[in-house]
Amino acid sequence: MKQEVGALSNVRIVDLTDERAIYGAKLLADMGADVVRPESPNGDPLRSRGPYCEDDANEPSLWHAFFASNRRFISLDLEAQTGRDQLAGLVGNADVVLVSEGAFGVAEANLEVALDVNPALVCVECSSFGRDGPWKDFLAPDLVAGALGGSVSTTGDVDTPPLKAFGDLNFIVSGCYVAVAALSALYHAKETGQGQRVDVPVHQCIASCLEHVLMWYWYSELLGPARGQSLERRGSLHWSNMYVVMQALGGTIMVTPTPDVDAQLAWLIEAGEHEDLIEPEYQDPTNQSLFMARLMEVLRSFVGTKDVEALFLEAQSRHAPYGWVLPIEKVGENPQLEARDWWRSYSIGKHMVKGPGTPYQFSETPWEMKPYIHTDVDAEHVLQDLGWDDNR
Amino acid sequence: MRPLEGIKVLDFTHVLAGPFATRLLGDMGADVVKINSVARATAINATNNPYYTMWNRNKRALALDMSRDEAKEICGDLCAKADVVIDNFSVGVLDRWGVGYDVVCPLNPRVIYVQMSGMGQGGPWSDFVTYAPTIHALSGLTHLTGVEGREDIGIGFSYNDHAAGLHGAVAILAAIQARRLTGKGQRVDLSQFEVGVNFLGPALLDLFGNGRAARPAGNRLPYDEAAPHNCYPCAGAASDDVADERWVAIACMSDHQWRAFCRVMGEPEWSKSATYETATARVSAVEELDRQIGLWTSQLDAVEVMARCQAAGVPAGVVQNSIDLAENDPQIVASDFLMTFDEPNPVLGTTYGDRLPLTFGETPCDIYTRVRDVGEDNASVLSDWLGMANDEVVSGEIDGYLA
Repeated sequence: MKQEVGALSNVRIVDLTDERAIYGAKLLADMGADVVRPESPNGDPLRSRGPYCEDDANEPSLWHAFFASNRRFISLDLEAQTGRDQLAGLVGNADVVLVSEGAFGVAEANLEVALDVNPALVCVECSSFGRDGPWKDFLAPDLVAGALGGSVSTTGDVDTPPLKAFGDLNFIVSGCYVAVAALSALYHAKETGQGQRVDVPVHQCIASCLEHVLMWYWYSELLGPARGQSLERRGSLHWSNMYVVMQALGGTIMVTPTPDVDAQLAWLIEAGEHEDLIEPEYQDPTNQSLFMARLMEVLRSFVGTKDVEALFLEAQSRHAPYGWVLPIEKVGENPQLEARDWWRSYSIGKHMVKGPGTPYQFSETPWEMKPYIHTDVDAEHVLQDLGWDDNR
Repeated sequence: MRPLEGIKVLDFTHVLAGPFATRLLGDMGADVVKINSVARATAINATNNPYYTMWNRNKRALALDMSRDEAKEICGDLCAKADVVIDNFSVGVLDRWGVGYDVVCPLNPRVIYVQMSGMGQGGPWSDFVTYAPTIHALSGLTHLTGVEGREDIGIGFSYNDHAAGLHGAVAILAAIQARRLTGKGQRVDLSQFEVGVNFLGPALLDLFGNGRAARPAGNRLPYDEAAPHNCYPCAGAASDDVADERWVAIACMSDHQWRAFCRVMGEPEWSKSATYETATARVSAVEELDRQIGLWTSQLDAVEVMARCQAAGVPAGVVQNSIDLAENDPQIVASDFLMTFDEPNPVLGTTYGDRLPLTFGETPCDIYTRVRDVGEDNASVLSDWLGMANDEVVSGEIDGYLA
């Protein structure tokens, strides 16, 4: 079953990833690459991650259906020579192999030999900490990876522990980098015929995506020396002091006077709720910090008396980037997503479930969600593609 | 040779999401030309702002005053030569500048034209203005990142900007691969909002399939049984400030790891209770479990807890802050991940960066050029891309449309 329409049609990928890199394989599969995901005869352990269809662990995993979308699955017995030969056939027939260190089939895939046989092959190898270094053997599920990588220390409040974000967002980052690495190396391979190995350490991936964290360490003398080189977790209050979640009527809303503070002030004046913000002391440029702190106080009073939805729409009509804090059920009803026809139907075994669409839309090579097959019924087709007939 | 050498990118992006996408491409060797102007280079888009320096290395700087017809004409010529044109303005800005997709595509049918707007093209919210905290709020990430009863915490940094940038880079590279097959470029409509909502994939499938609306889970896994799975206080805080607190994350993902963790703790009596024998039981008693573990960790240094746990095969890690990352992380040191730019910034002096976290075996990406000032590369860019003579460039700079 070849895919005809996706941006990555005719790219063949073997997916030997675990949680750390599976999102990268998903991105490539969802854009039409033919991605084969081998698993052991006992099944992919990621099929045991909740939630499940019908909230029943005997039914297909919704987690797996999402992250292993658009794959072809094949069960391989790597204890047997036949299984190892089939894996070698898959790797030998691939443009790209994606692996997570220690995942199923990685040791048996023998990537050094595969690169010798096919010099244009791209091998992307994701590990927690890289091939070398004192922590290279450390175990790091998403929470621990985020702790060591620096994301966890940013999140939470004074009365909570440091917090991870909901979902495996640290591994989303490493997964994205895996896809970037694969496509960049593939571009080079197509241009020159030269394949290569690319290492993707989760630890550095997370540390590269922390917005202000390293910047503040390096430039705190310029940005705010009184706050030191390391900033505290403090709820929703942004490190810049300019974004914070406030209570409105009927819900909460992320409020910011940026990017146009004058327009925000004008709105408050128009509403007659500017309090003392136009007093001379706040007009003195040397009192800008004082003014901003007072502005946030006044905004809290202003917001507290407004209906959250009406306030959000009013702010956006004034080009103020407020954000209504929506619970997931409201996200599911979002008018923008509906208007853009974003949602897709996921065929998961006998179930049809509404679910997320693609994070980007291509004008010429549209995205397609193929049925998620709970078993490895594709195995026969996968092997036929490799020239394995029934007798063999 | 770096892997993306030969790819020409015309970069109209600003703030973080778009510049992060093009930073990745520049790090990997693409010729990224950043369009800026004296008038627009203010606040965090000023070239001497630390924020700007974080996301705009490895790019050449071209100044175009897009209020001038001469600049618009040059911009159109550049679009005709580009492999990639990218912006993250609100919808419609490049159209107003005369280089919208409908104008550029006929000039350059092979162009990959990427628009990373907040809400995407079309729909009732398409004109909405967003920053990452806006997207976090609207996508459900703020509501879900917190603890029970606290839906006002959210992620403590602009996660979605980085994520949108990464997805932008993926989309560009995929479209370039597609062009190899079709011979044509295309338009990529990236909604940063849709990027964020996408991250809740399993929870949304659970919502629509099972009717269950996810709620904040703290550090626990919302759908799987794993305990302990939390951050625990440690000794050694330098002061009472929250920023100086020391914490360690411990995540036992199996009963085997739990038993190993008990041995690390010296097998205290409480841990031998049947209450904690299975993951299901531990999750049921997680508050008392967390309290007991916290009593143990609070007597110890976080690095010590991590080392003892990892030596026993138990996933654990110090909750590292910026000082830990920059000064105390032996893995960061061993990989030489953080660096100083060779050439000083004309205003800031020494500037710093984190390297591309990808190691290419055959095409190493180890070139890092400092952030360039507005228009600093006018002559080289316009010569390389358009064959423009130096005196023409100087004339444009004096006239002001190249400034």
